[in-house]
Amino acid sequence: MLELRNLSLHLPDHELVKAFSMMIAGGEVVTLMGQSGSGKSSLLSLIGGDLAPTFQASGEVILNGVSLLALPPEKRKIGRLFQDDFLFPHMTVAENLLFATPAGSKPERLNQMTTALKQAGLDGFANRAPHTLSGGQRQRVALMRCLLAKPEAILLDEPFSKLDATLRAEMRAFVFDHIKSRGTPALLVTHDRSDAPAHGRIFSIGDGEVRHV
Amino acid sequence: MLRLRNIWGAGPLTLLLLLPLLASVVFLLPGLLDWDAFGAMLAHPQFAGALKLSLFTGLVATCLALFLSILVIERLSGQAQSHAGLFLAAPHLALALGFGFLIAPTGLMARVIATVFTGWTSPPQWQTTQDPTGLALIAALVLKEVPFLVWAMASVLDQDELKQRFSREVTMARSLGHGPRSAFWRVILPQLLPRIIWPLVAVFSYGLTVVDMALVIGPTQPPTLAQLIWSDLNDAEHLINARGAAGTVALTLVALVILGASFATVRLLRKAISRWITRAPRPERRFFPAGRVLWSVWFAIYLCVIAALAVQSVSALWPFPHLLPEHISLVSWQRVLENGSPVLTSLVLAAATSTMSVLAIVVWFETQLERHDRIAVSAALAVLCLPALLLALGQYRLLLQLGWTGTGAGLLLVHVVPVAAYVFVMLQGPYRAYDTRWQAVSQGLAVKKAAFLTQVKWPMLRASLLSAWAIGFAVSLAQYVPAQLAAAGRFSTLPMEAVTLTSGGNRAMMAAYGLLLMLLPLTGLAVAAWAGKPRWKVA
Repeated sequence: MLELRNLSLHLPDHELVKAFSMMIAGGEVVTLMGQSGSGKSSLLSLIGGDLAPTFQASGEVILNGVSLLALPPEKRKIGRLFQDDFLFPHMTVAENLLFATPAGSKPERLNQMTTALKQAGLDGFANRAPHTLSGGQRQRVALMRCLLAKPEAILLDEPFSKLDATLRAEMRAFVFDHIKSRGTPALLVTHDRSDAPAHGRIFSIGDGEVRHV
Repeated sequence: MLRLRNIWGAGPLTLLLLLPLLASVVFLLPGLLDWDAFGAMLAHPQFAGALKLSLFTGLVATCLALFLSILVIERLSGQAQSHAGLFLAAPHLALALGFGFLIAPTGLMARVIATVFTGWTSPPQWQTTQDPTGLALIAALVLKEVPFLVWAMASVLDQDELKQRFSREVTMARSLGHGPRSAFWRVILPQLLPRIIWPLVAVFSYGLTVVDMALVIGPTQPPTLAQLIWSDLNDAEHLINARGAAGTVALTLVALVILGASFATVRLLRKAISRWITRAPRPERRFFPAGRVLWSVWFAIYLCVIAALAVQSVSALWPFPHLLPEHISLVSWQRVLENGSPVLTSLVLAAATSTMSVLAIVVWFETQLERHDRIAVSAALAVLCLPALLLALGQYRLLLQLGWTGTGAGLLLVHVVPVAAYVFVMLQGPYRAYDTRWQAVSQGLAVKKAAFLTQVKWPMLRASLLSAWAIGFAVSLAQYVPAQLAAAGRFSTLPMEAVTLTSGGNRAMMAAYGLLLMLLPLTGLAVAAWAGKPRWKVA
């Protein structure tokens, strides 16, 4: 479970997000909507651990009982997906996946990587360079890479916004199914309401307030 | 269709860089097949030892400089770029002279150790300069090349698009469980290295074929191959001269073979590299700020080098282990002033070549399409990456054909080629990145092109133009090999005077010339930085 407790975010001259609290259960995808500059991506950066030093934050982020704000990003066990897939261009698809695969014996790691490729429907693409894949294929690899690291929560920063309408629906189903089946809490940030899961909770962020809608 | 304006616009840079470079290469060709001269070089009793030394010093210096510059850039990028300019301005020769005074058995370092730690009463019996293994030469090369590589890497990392992407990729890598060090070495570095391949080739090529630094601080028995060749090239005897020319070509071939072998090795190691890159995330120990410490050490060493030159230049009697000379004398500086011609020649050449280069390159940018830059970039890279000896030899043969050896025009030509190459590389990024919407806005206000250039564009690009000028000024001041060949004994420049003095015993004079050689480019850079300081901000 991911819990945001009295979380607030300030810039030196104004309060970007006033204190708010939220709990996200395992397998649930909560959507946070807002205009550009409303602070939604900064909120994700705060949770993920890469907030720019110009911001100040207070409150607590607790993941499965562990307080996160004092931890470096690599120790938070929080997966990230952005609107760009950020597959590392100097690595093949397989290398991108292995990069995220936790320590273990070589056959074990290879096996996890192969299974992930199969789940992404990309059997036979292991040695391909990321730039040779389509947008949808790249996003599927990005999700699989994120999941291979066994995150305990996932932050989705407009991951579907660069896809066309057909692919978008397909990717939404693919991402939400995987998150649900693994029981991982997820926070989705978007400015497009149709990106939100059909029956999920939706919050809006604006004028510093986070409201349930 | 090419417009007349475009053809004329390409003219100045063609005359300063492209044509002389092409002609130099053409005039090198006849000597390539002189098998007797090659045989004579191979039969030289010191050839094998000299080649071994050159390979050792060149390769070790390049690898070490690369490793240390990576450590620096891992923690500093933007900051490093702004500092690196200061280091870049220091000529290799001046650094070698000052570094020599610093590490010599009677140098500043030994005096500090003796006074503070060991209580030595006489200088240690260590060969710290001109040592047979070339360690001092390696240290001096590393000292000079680390800032150059740091600057090259920082320039790449500072490009807007890459900066953002790399920052996101690091965020991504860390969200996958990798610490900051792992993210840098596995994600950023493999993408960074291919982008600095030319600067790396330039560093290796310079390290393998360096003459001026080697003459000051390098091994002598045997010398490096470049020194051996240089001595042959300066010989009046035709056969020995031809042997030197053959050695130059042989050294270039060796450089090409080593570079080819290095690329092949990287390809062969692809699997091992892949295994290392895809290693599972593991906990990282606390990040020791090696880069920050290293960069501070670099500043300290450069300051010590300047201090060593300054103190040595005014020392009359300086018994060991005294930290400062017993008697101060300004005789060396008086002599420098009395014999002002080398300084004046160097200053005039530096000011003229850098001004000509900046003007020619600005005309090029204003009249040529960006895609035509490839031609100039290739020429600039050839100048930066070809062994200096090879290029100097080609230029010398060109001057012989033109009857320009020992003339001011010849001297100007050999200085302007490397200056134009450096200025082009420095200016291309900022000039081409200038937002063309400023021009559109000016046109909308019915401002003529000349007024737009003088009142809008060039004032906005003032900092870049001036720093490119200052780097050109520094590059010109540092030219030794081509200048020595072109001057044919009729002219003397600062580096030529400093190297000549190394064979004598007048350390104070040597230090005075070294200090001038070090401070003049730094002054140029400081003036450029001050004059280029923006008086306003773009909103």
